[in-house]
Formats: sequence, structure tokens, C-alpha cells
Amino acid sequence: MAIKETKLWTIEKELWVENRLGLHARPVAKIATAAQQFDADITLEKDGLVVNARDLLDVLALDCPQGTRIVLRTRGPQAREAATSITSLFARKFEET
Amino acid sequence: MTRKNRLLEGIAASPGIVMGPAHVLTQEGQVSTRLLYTDQEVAEELKGFNRAVDQTEEELIRLRREIAEDLKEHAYILELHLLILRDRMLLLETQKLIKEQNFNAERALYQAFLKIKEVFQRIGDKHIRGRIQDVEAVYRRLRGHLTGRGASKTFEFPEPVIIVARDLSPAETTHMSSSQVLGFITERGGKTSHTAIIAHSLEIPAVVGLDNATLKIESGEEVIVNGVSGRVIVNPDEAMRRSYQVRREEFETFKWEVTQGSSLPAVTSDGHPTRVLANIEQPDEVSLAQKYGADGIGLYRTEFLYLGQRQLPTEEELFHHYRQVVWAMAPREVTIRTLDIGGDKFLSPLEYAPEINPALGLRAIRFCLKEQKIFRTQVKAILRASAFGQVRVMFPLISSPRELHDARLLLESVKGELAREHIAFDQKLPVGAMIEVPAAVTLADLLGREADFFSIGTNDLIQYALAIDRGNKSVADMYEPLHPAVMRMVRDVVQVSRKLGIRVAMCGEMAGDPLYIPVLLGLGVEELSMNPTSIPVVKRVIRMTSLSEATKIARRALALATVEEVNEYVNKEMDHRFPDIFRFGRPLVANRVL
Repeated sequence: MAIKETKLWTIEKELWVENRLGLHARPVAKIATAAQQFDADITLEKDGLVVNARDLLDVLALDCPQGTRIVLRTRGPQAREAATSITSLFARKFEET
Repeated sequence: MTRKNRLLEGIAASPGIVMGPAHVLTQEGQVSTRLLYTDQEVAEELKGFNRAVDQTEEELIRLRREIAEDLKEHAYILELHLLILRDRMLLLETQKLIKEQNFNAERALYQAFLKIKEVFQRIGDKHIRGRIQDVEAVYRRLRGHLTGRGASKTFEFPEPVIIVARDLSPAETTHMSSSQVLGFITERGGKTSHTAIIAHSLEIPAVVGLDNATLKIESGEEVIVNGVSGRVIVNPDEAMRRSYQVRREEFETFKWEVTQGSSLPAVTSDGHPTRVLANIEQPDEVSLAQKYGADGIGLYRTEFLYLGQRQLPTEEELFHHYRQVVWAMAPREVTIRTLDIGGDKFLSPLEYAPEINPALGLRAIRFCLKEQKIFRTQVKAILRASAFGQVRVMFPLISSPRELHDARLLLESVKGELAREHIAFDQKLPVGAMIEVPAAVTLADLLGREADFFSIGTNDLIQYALAIDRGNKSVADMYEPLHPAVMRMVRDVVQVSRKLGIRVAMCGEMAGDPLYIPVLLGLGVEELSMNPTSIPVVKRVIRMTSLSEATKIARRALALATVEEVNEYVNKEMDHRFPDIFRFGRPLVANRVL
């Protein structure tokens, strides 16, 4: 299936916070650092609240302990790369337990 | 303030006992406030602020570069501070306040910080909420540059000192070498604050959360920091100094002996062998278990791979995890507990309504027998892992022989399946029933017919036996491991298992608390499974206890009618027999530091 990539293409993914301590300092720093590497708008949504993944304190303030459901949206030229990068951070539990 | 022997109490954050002169790091003064009247003033204020941001950034980068080799793993904290420094909430907000409200930079920064603080106070998770400490550290550093005072205090002292501060940023803590700093006292922070973590890795005693420490202690005053009890003594007199010396030596000896002895077998002083095992949750905890001298894994909790997952773990995934543990521990035994989880924990594809009373709801073996597909997958993975070492399996929350029977039937059917597929497994895999429901205690003789071993899960057993929810603050103090009802239950289960010739183990927090060990040995429990860090202290208690004495203690405790009497008796007995363990061992276990 050919996906037509346009500048406005939005990728949406559902992510779950699986590491024990939730999105605390270290994971959030990893997300922000990763997000800064891509030419894409990257947002995280929890219960209707949307924040920019680059805004570390906003992401912390989203208050996401273990088990939280988050929706990741990326948009822009590197939307796909950004989504892969952030998704894999979650999948690897930020290299924590 | 020169009164002798002033006692202050805080939170023990890094163990060790130390004495030395205090060095109080004073707080910055009031935030200066003025309004800017001209555009030029605003522009200059902005320029000054941006310069301070640059300076702070340079400083953080320099600190990150210079961080000591043994603290490299904490470098992420500086990374985090760099990110906070450039965060919208702090940077843009301050700039906005300067431009739009005409605040001077210092005031604007303060306002921005207060706003973040407000946002953070609404965060429910306490770990995440606690990160306001990092924001504050960055705020203070930045403000230091702004006011030209410089936030990074230099730590050059003519003699080693005890640092007393409102709070210490990680960068500050790491910049204090252990040759310069004997101990830390801070007003802020808890057991898991950065100060505590770093003090730990530097092995510097620390007491945190001591209210108004910077006001109650003056620079130059002699201070004793007891990082085991959380106490601080200011201006000790001669007698206090002497007792401090004694205490310090006792502690060092105790710590040395406990660590040295952790690999020795847990044999009572009259030659009776016992087994001390570890509770783990993750494959990587195996190394901890080994480090602390576990004789095996007495409880491998398997919920982790299921929690918060959108999809159920596959048999391969489970097998991979289990084999890793089994392999690493071989030839020592690994006891795998099947899924102890309620239906409400599953997000999908199973949909269960949240329960009003999940502790009494559809969970553990009940859930597994209902969702046989999930259960079979796990049992199959466990059986496959059993080919790689010594595995035992146990079923949680058994309350009737029927449940145990059904679980065994399923196990046998999976065995048949594996045999047909020519996949290796341990034919004689021992099967255990967890005894954690009062009904299982009463029916132990019947359960024993189909069980190769019992494992008493004290956390749930106490909760169900006493009808106490430990998470409920109004009744938490009634959660009593030494309650006569609990002791009788343990005694009964041991008696039944002896009669039937099956092994009996105990897992749960009670099994890892040094205070209860002699009573448990006396009641006939021979296998204790606990948090890995508790093992060294517990082994030491076992080696110093004779079974005949323990039996007497248990008998006397059993003869007492009320839990108050039992507690008083056991505490007195333990204090008398193991003064050092009482003084140091329990705090050490509680702090999980050894």
C-alpha cells in the first residue's frame, strides 16, 4: 500500500507507559532530546491534553505514571522518523525497568 | 545556640555515622523587584537574562564534562537540567514577563518558577511531582548568574566539613569530594532525592528532610550525623562524643560482618540448615540475588510482562524471560509464581469491569482458570524454561482443593502437548500452592495431597486474616505480622506440611524482616524468601540464632493472648539478643542499602 507523504501527513500512534516509574525525569529528557532531532511537529496527548514533546516540563506535568495511555502524533517532513524514534523509546521502556 | 547535645531528627538517606564541623550554606536573600520604565531598560534586562542563561548553560556543560568517573551514571541529571534551562515554561515565560509585565529579570524568573511550581503541585504521581527539585536547582543556578553572585558555590574548606544546606543540587553534590565532605544535612528531599542517591554512591552519610536545618545549626558547630537513624546531634558534649565513637565503630563492624557473611550458608548456631531465597520481578534482578547470597529464587513474580500492555505477551517472550532467570540461577532453584493479577489490570483484548473490591475479586488463580488461554501460554513457557535448570511453579491465591486440582490438570495437559511436540521440560516439575487465604490454611491437609510444597504469602494472608487493608491509613497500624491469629496459622501450616512430608516456604515482607526471623524459625519455617537486599542481615540473624532457642521464643510468643504482648515480648527479646541488628540491621534493610 502506497502512503502518499505530504507535509501535512500526520502519524498517530497509541503508546503505553510501561516503565515502573512512569514518565519521570530520565524518560522525559530522552523524549525531549529525541524530539529535537527531527523536522516534525511532535505532540503527546493524554486524556485530551496535548503537549509538545520537546517541552520537557509540559511532558512532566502531563503526569504519566506506569500504565498511562498516550497518543503520539507527528507531522512534517520527518514525521515517520520521529514516530519511529519516540515509539522505540517507549517500547524499550527508556532502557529502564 | 551553643546548648550542648541538641537533637534534631530528619530522614536517614545514606547510612553511616560521622562527626565534624558544620558548614552551613546560606540561602540567597529576597528576590529584588523593580519595574522597568523604558524600552531600553527592557532590552537591557532581556540581554542580561539571556547572558545569564548562556552562562548557566556553559556551567552545566562544564560540570557534565567534569563529573567524576564513578558518578557518570548521574550525568543525566545535568542533561536534564540543560533541558529545563531551555524549556518554554522557564525561558519563554521569563522573557515574556520582562517584555509584557515590565518586571526586572530576577522577579520575572521568580514568577516563572512559581508558576511551574504551581503546575507541578497538581501532579498526582509523587516521583514525577518530586522533579520540581530539578526545576528549582536550575532556577537557583540561573538566578545566581543573574544577580552576579554565581550559583556554584565553591567548596574549599580548610578541614573536612559536614554540609548543611536547604537543598543541594546534584551538580553541587557531585562537586563535593568525599575528602572534603564528611556528611550532608539538608532541609529538603526524601529517601529517593538526588542528594540521597549521590550521597549513597559516594558512601557519605546523609540526613535529609530536616526542617530548618540551616537555621538550627550554625557554621563551625560540631555535628554528629547518623545516616542510619536519621538523627543529628549538634554540639555534642564529651560523653556524647565518646558514645558516638563507640556507635560508629559498632556500625562499621556490623556492616563489614554482614557483607562478609552474605555468601555463607544460613545455618543456625546449633547446626540446623535453612534456606534464604530472593524475591524478584525482573530477570536483571538475578544479579542482585546472587550478589547478596540467595540460595535460590523463592518468588519470581511474573506480572510485569502483562501490566500496562496492549497485547498479551507471547509464549516465546515469556519463555525467553523465564529461561534467562532459570539459566542464570542454575543449579539453584527458581520458584515461578503464575500470574497474580486481576481482570481489571488487563486493558485489552480482555475487557473486565473495574471491581469495587479487587482484593476479593477475580484475580490470580481464579482469573487464570477463567482465562485458560492466557494461563496455558504461561504454563507452557514455564515448563519449557524448566528444561534449563531447577524450576518450581506455584499457584497464587489458592482457596480450595478444586482450584489446585484444576490448575494441575491444566499443567498436565500442557505437559502432554509439549511431549507430543517433542519439546523438553522437567517431567517432575514441583508444584506448589501459595497459602495466603485463611481457607487454604484450614484446608492445608487437603491441599497437601496435590502439592509438592507450600509457600506462605504473608502479605495477603495477614490482610485477609485480620481484614486489614494495609493501604488504608486509618487501619494500617492494625496490620500486625505477629498477631496471634497469624502465628497460629503459620504454625498449623508447618505442622500439616511436616505430617505430609512436603516443604514449606514463606515469602512476603514478614520473611525478610530480621525482627521476625527467630519466631519464624521457631514456628518451623525453614525457607524464607525476601527482597535480595534483606538477605545479608537475615542470614546473620539465622547464624546467630539456635533453633532450640528460637523454638522457645516461638512457644512463648504463641502462649500470649494479645498482639501487644507478643510485640513487646519479641521486641524485648530481639533487642536483648541482637542489639546491633536492632539498631542497625532493620534501618539498613528498610533503606535497602546493603
